[in-house]
Amino acid sequence: MNSLDIRAALPAAAVSDEALWWVEAFVRRLIQHAARNAPPSLSQRLEEEWLADLAARRGQMSRLRLAIGCCWATRVITREHVAANVPATASATGNEIMTASAHYDSSFVPRRTTAVVLIVCLHGVLIYSLATGLVHKMAAVIPPLMQVGVTEDVPAHHPPPPPLQPNLAPTRLEVPEPSFTVDAPSDADTLRGAPLEQPQPPPPSPPKALNRVPGGPGKGFPNTDDYYPAASRRLGEKGIASVRVCVDASGRLTADPMITQSSGSTRLDEGALTLAKAGSGHYRATTEDGRPVNACYPFRIRFEFRD
Amino acid sequence: MGGPNRDVRMSLQTLRVLEAFLENPTEQLSGADVQKRSGLASGTLYPILLRLESAGWFVSRWESIDPSSAGRPRRRLYRLTPTGLARASEVFASFGRGVPA
Repeated sequence: MNSLDIRAALPAAAVSDEALWWVEAFVRRLIQHAARNAPPSLSQRLEEEWLADLAARRGQMSRLRLAIGCCWATRVITREHVAANVPATASATGNEIMTASAHYDSSFVPRRTTAVVLIVCLHGVLIYSLATGLVHKMAAVIPPLMQVGVTEDVPAHHPPPPPLQPNLAPTRLEVPEPSFTVDAPSDADTLRGAPLEQPQPPPPSPPKALNRVPGGPGKGFPNTDDYYPAASRRLGEKGIASVRVCVDASGRLTADPMITQSSGSTRLDEGALTLAKAGSGHYRATTEDGRPVNACYPFRIRFEFRD
Repeated sequence: MGGPNRDVRMSLQTLRVLEAFLENPTEQLSGADVQKRSGLASGTLYPILLRLESAGWFVSRWESIDPSSAGRPRRRLYRLTPTGLARASEVFASFGRGVPA
């Protein structure tokens, strides 16, 4: 049965209660252990005193801190040899007053000396490292941080179309004059001759050439840098992806963008698609004779590190 | 070696313990009470309590309760001795702080 099965089999509350019980037992054992390591004349008193103070504590972390602190207190008390001079007066009746003489030792001196020695040693190691060039060797081993910069490559903007010159020259439509003849009947009751020819419609005029300017990313379009995939940055990937977008006259996407030419990296392609979607509403619409129209067009997104 | 009323080396932690008692010099406090007032860790507090008791600044006794009826173990209560009160007052006066109210 694996751990997941166990979790499924046991109610969470039961697991929690059991954990709390274990913590409580551990804390009590820790305090008892600490007190029993104290000088024998103080051991019983300290155990009872600390367990009573433990009972006044709320919260498992607070109780655990108390227990750990008691372990430390035992070390200090033992070192100071208080037990040699302090008679324990714990009794069942509990009203005796304990007084004792103090014994002082220089318990902090060894600790302080140890700390000073450690600091001196650390400084020695550091100075030795600097003197022998160890730091330089380590610096040579550690690869330099990759400088990453992203340049936004928006496809070259087409120059704005020249203002339209209104063609004021009148257009003459060459309409062939319908020619038909009417043979006047000689007799009003009978009509003679071929039926009347219908007038030929004028030939369709040739399609007029439109001044079409394809759209592209416009003002407020997101920065490529913000969509450079983090993994690609770390791996040093760069490339150019071509994306086809369909944009309405207001610059909004009308369909999901598509990759028409991969950058060579799936991550970069996804980043390009995300960027293209995020740019909806910030595209410059394609114009025909100056009028924005719905249209689809490709553009390129370049992911590249800046020097 | 040494005896009651011996000078106690003053540290910031010791001063905080004394300050906890000087809030009400006649009050008897358990280690847990002193810890709440002084904010000291137990590893620091209990050695100081024992040290001050050994020096005659404190006396301690067991709480007079019946643990079975009280539903909790009896606590060890500490109290300033007159000597301890006088010495603590001197210490705080020498630091220019006066005795805490």
